[in-house]
Amino acid sequence: MRTLPRTPARVRDAAVELRGVTRLFGPSPALARVDLSIQRGEAVVLRGPNGAGKSTLLRIVATALSPTYGGGSVLGFDLATEREEIRRRCDLLTHRTRLYEELTARENLELFARLLGIPAGRVDEALERVALADAAGERVRMFSAGMRQKVAVARSIVRDPEMLLLDEPTTGLDDAARHVVERMILDAAAERRTLVIATHHPIAPELGARVVSMRDGSVEAGA
Amino acid sequence: MTVLGQASVIARKDLVIEVRGRHALGTLLPFAATVLIAFGFAFGPGRDVLDRVAPGLLWMAVLFSTVIASRRAYQVETEDGALEGLLLAPIDKAAVFLGKAAAVTLELLALVLAVLVLVVLLFDLPVASPLLMIAAFVLGVVGLAAVGSLFGVVAESARTREAIFPMLVLPLVAPVLIAGVRATDLAAAGRSSDVLSWLGLLAAFDVVFLSVGVLVFGYLLED
Amino acid sequence: MAATAERALGKAASRNGERTLGVASLIALAVSAALSLVVAPPDAVQGEVQRIMYVHVPAAWLAYLSFFVVFVASIAYLKTRKTRWDRVAAASAEIGVLFTALAIALGMLWGKPVWGAWWTWDPRLTTTAVLLLIYVGYLAVRRITDNPSRRATWAAVVGIVGFVDVPIVHLSVVWWRSLHQGPTVLRLGAPEIQGTMLLALLGGVAAFTITYAYLMTLRLRVGRLEEREAREALSPIVEVER
Repeated sequence: MRTLPRTPARVRDAAVELRGVTRLFGPSPALARVDLSIQRGEAVVLRGPNGAGKSTLLRIVATALSPTYGGGSVLGFDLATEREEIRRRCDLLTHRTRLYEELTARENLELFARLLGIPAGRVDEALERVALADAAGERVRMFSAGMRQKVAVARSIVRDPEMLLLDEPTTGLDDAARHVVERMILDAAAERRTLVIATHHPIAPELGARVVSMRDGSVEAGA
Repeated sequence: MTVLGQASVIARKDLVIEVRGRHALGTLLPFAATVLIAFGFAFGPGRDVLDRVAPGLLWMAVLFSTVIASRRAYQVETEDGALEGLLLAPIDKAAVFLGKAAAVTLELLALVLAVLVLVVLLFDLPVASPLLMIAAFVLGVVGLAAVGSLFGVVAESARTREAIFPMLVLPLVAPVLIAGVRATDLAAAGRSSDVLSWLGLLAAFDVVFLSVGVLVFGYLLED
Repeated sequence: MAATAERALGKAASRNGERTLGVASLIALAVSAALSLVVAPPDAVQGEVQRIMYVHVPAAWLAYLSFFVVFVASIAYLKTRKTRWDRVAAASAEIGVLFTALAIALGMLWGKPVWGAWWTWDPRLTTTAVLLLIYVGYLAVRRITDNPSRRATWAAVVGIVGFVDVPIVHLSVVWWRSLHQGPTVLRLGAPEIQGTMLLALLGGVAAFTITYAYLMTLRLRVGRLEEREAREALSPIVEVER
């Protein structure tokens, strides 16, 4: 794996700077030499057919994956060497909600709150905001996809990240859950958090987000 | 929050899930009992042989149960990609290792207690030095849990073949098996001074593997 | 332009070096064979059978040396992330498996006439058997994933953990065996090794080590070719430097 020279200075304006990022799964590249720049506070929508590399790109920015070649920085922190700092400030929402079935919604949230040293009060607030206060004491095993995604949104609220990464966040959701997600996105935009959303559906068009099109692992337009 | 604090949060989470899912009770205990009875058929019915091999059978049952318990510890995490949630949390990844090892240790100790009762009944195992015997089990189980929790990450990966996990773990824990059985045998007979050197070996194994595990676990988690 | 010329030169030099090493190992093995079979006298107690020691001990020495190389290369890989260390580790592991299996087989061949049994849980042979299992685990882990950096990372962890375990395994097996003295254990060795016997033994060790080095250069070259092939398969899409 190539190592790039360290990002010289904290580039305060840039939320994401990717240079030549390539990611291989086995022999085939999911991402090929992607360059991308996103400013802080910007809202970006990733468009493209299945297999274009949108999910992979989001996961690399979130540091769930490492680039095979290339590198860059997220919120001023180097992708190769400062991953925990990036993780402290980003949240990734996908259709996999990363919840524990046998724990209640509240317990799932409290787990992260405790791990990250966040006061318990925030958990209650978050549950209120996603309208889950009543169901908070039930095990996630009982929840529908929409309710699980609400918990994930609540977790995001608890984590209070500078940047939100969303991968097809409204697929398969009922109206109530979709509304909650869209609300979160709009609130985040209003609070000047950076947003990167991969989606097929038009989502929060009032955002006026920049569109980045991808195909076959490359960025076609809008980088 | 300190690493140990984070580890105990994770251990607590694992134990809560264990208790609610009743996996240990439902699967591990019957499994261990089956193994013991099978050994009984294989080596019996002559009491003299069975009595001589009782400590060994006990530890074999514990060893096999470790494989199952460690895999289970990580199966929980694959439910909805929860392991990625731990990866993306800005916590020390060593805490995940220590937390999981602690949870597996406690589950196995509960199992050992039950199995010990079974073995005393089935094979008439004497318990002349109960404290030393308990010490042997505690130290041994910690070592087994450490190795299992380290490589459990590898076991749950998509393309892993079934047999890889036991194949990795069993040769590595050979010292635990040897020392554990010897110590149990000697403690059963009440030869306290001899037990101590075997306990020392177990303790050394634990220290080495916990330390190495803390150092390398993060590498196993990252992708 | 200059870079390609330099690389071509390096390749030519290393091919020559490789060939020299190959010839050297053949010669060394021949010399060692002569020393072991002809020059050294037969053992007073065990007779001609004892000559197996001149291949068994070097093979065992190489088994552990190879794993030590795997250990060091694994640490180097985790620290530097340079694929060359992963190549070294993988090559040494493959060659190590061969030497380990050889050492065990030779140990059993030696044991049968001396002890009357193929396997008597001799401490060193037993530890070597566990070492073989750990090696095999290392190679198996390399086959789990296609992702080259994950494969290298996981393998490196196994390489490190495995090596750290070996001394503990050895200690536990030695203590375990010391419990049962049994009929006087004829150690797989000789009570004293003097003069020409020592020479033959050291000659064997030297010859095997040179052979190991030769096999490593071969395997590393194959490894580099494999990597180049993989890179070239990608190059229409991805241009990457080493």
